[in-house]
Amino acid sequence: MKRLLVVTFAFALAVGVITAATTAATGGKAESAGRRAEAAKPKLPALPAEVRNRKRWIIGVKCDVPPFGYINVKGENAGFDVEIAHWFARYAFGKANRVAFVCAPTPAREPLLTTGRADLVISTFTYTRDRDTRIDFSRAYYKATGRLLVKNNSSISSISDLAGKTIATTSGSIYDRWVRKCFTNATLSVFDNLTNARLAFDQGRADTLMWDDAGLVPLAAADRNSKLTNDTFLALPYGIGIKQGNVAMKRWVDSRLALMKKRDTFMQILRNNVPKRFVAGFSKNILRPKNNFAYAPAGAPAAETVCP
Amino acid sequence: MTLALTYDLWGFLSENWEALLRGLGRTIEVSAIAVIGSFLIGLVLGAARAHRVPVVSQLATIYVEVIRNTPILVQIFFLYFGLGQFESTRFDVFTVAWLSITIWGGAFNTENFRAGFEAVPYRFREAGLALGFSRLATFFNVTLPIGGRIALPSSINTYIAVVKNTALLYVIAYEELTTTAFQIQALTLETLEAFTLIGIVYLILVWSLSAGIRVLESHLALPEAR
Repeated sequence: MKRLLVVTFAFALAVGVITAATTAATGGKAESAGRRAEAAKPKLPALPAEVRNRKRWIIGVKCDVPPFGYINVKGENAGFDVEIAHWFARYAFGKANRVAFVCAPTPAREPLLTTGRADLVISTFTYTRDRDTRIDFSRAYYKATGRLLVKNNSSISSISDLAGKTIATTSGSIYDRWVRKCFTNATLSVFDNLTNARLAFDQGRADTLMWDDAGLVPLAAADRNSKLTNDTFLALPYGIGIKQGNVAMKRWVDSRLALMKKRDTFMQILRNNVPKRFVAGFSKNILRPKNNFAYAPAGAPAAETVCP
Repeated sequence: MTLALTYDLWGFLSENWEALLRGLGRTIEVSAIAVIGSFLIGLVLGAARAHRVPVVSQLATIYVEVIRNTPILVQIFFLYFGLGQFESTRFDVFTVAWLSITIWGGAFNTENFRAGFEAVPYRFREAGLALGFSRLATFFNVTLPIGGRIALPSSINTYIAVVKNTALLYVIAYEELTTTAFQIQALTLETLEAFTLIGIVYLILVWSLSAGIRVLESHLALPEAR
């Protein structure tokens, strides 16, 4: 009898200690998880009403630029930018599929935002001060540089060899502007999407394809007859395009990007989208807990107006 | 690049008139080659089909059916990027520009001329043959003058379409008027100004072409038609 009482008392004590320890660890109150989380850290900005009411995102992404935005063999949108969009859907609605994708090739990105046809544009969107006058950008999320894709036997080894050559790129891009300003002795061949620009380069109609590093690396990896030159230029980070003046949206997006940076989510996304041999090189281009980068300071001239 | 918050057509024109003028020149160049080319193709193949010339009329039928039943954009892409995959068939952009539009216009014009030639009453051709003209001479002296005039109004439609379809050369980056305007508006976002301007230019261009052909038509009209 006495032993039974001792055992029962010890058991009750143990249960009580464990319960107290668990409730202490989770914040003390046996209320909703939200309030417990609220007490543990500051509240994240709320999802803007227009997206919350629609119960899904409408996000513009590239449809022909691996590894950032492309259509995979199953006919689904895939890529680095597309995965960020899925993470936003998870953060907003708890489900990764609550997002409708719209194709946003280079010339369509700003009109999609200014006309309200998309909530966000995550489409290899380089920040420029000129674009910032018409739309808003989130914090920088990918630090891209421009590169030249040339054939293996090409005489072009850097941007100083471009005189008299034909350069293919996309219409309205920073390369379009930069070449028109700084390489007037080269011929520019602009197409409305990267696929056609690449076809023109493949077929020898242009001597080089000038574009973002991450867009060109898969082309160089897949085509044994072409390579990237070593020089980098126009180091310009990507941002997420947001309609001008939508402060609530920008706050939401920046906060979730900060969260993904802290949790090293971008490394996971990078591994999903880039061949293993490129991961180490590209890990310097993404946001990581110890890797910070931002847009050029306000006083600096716009990169595509600065000639080498 | 200046930010376009307001509609400034004159400013757009004064900043970009050289590039747009070059583009207009190229549009006129390609349109002229294509109109003349499609006229000649239409004339020859239409005559072949109307007179049931063996082999030629069958080949012409295949040509007409293939070109009329596929979108012109597909044809342009096929000639430039499709055939361009092989070095031996890799044409430069100007060649593809006038060739694709000419081939397209020729197919439609073939049907216009065939209808025109077949509309010539058979008794006229009979009369020609009875007078001792050879079949070819009958064609040149009887069928062509009458049938060509009958075909003229419908071929105006084809020539108008030929000029407007040069705008599709945008997809192969041939720097004609529409491509130039698209590229400028991609850089400056003066979208409405760009499209208003080229809309006006095309209106004037195409209207002048059809007015010119109508003048030609009244000039050529047979006495009883006046």
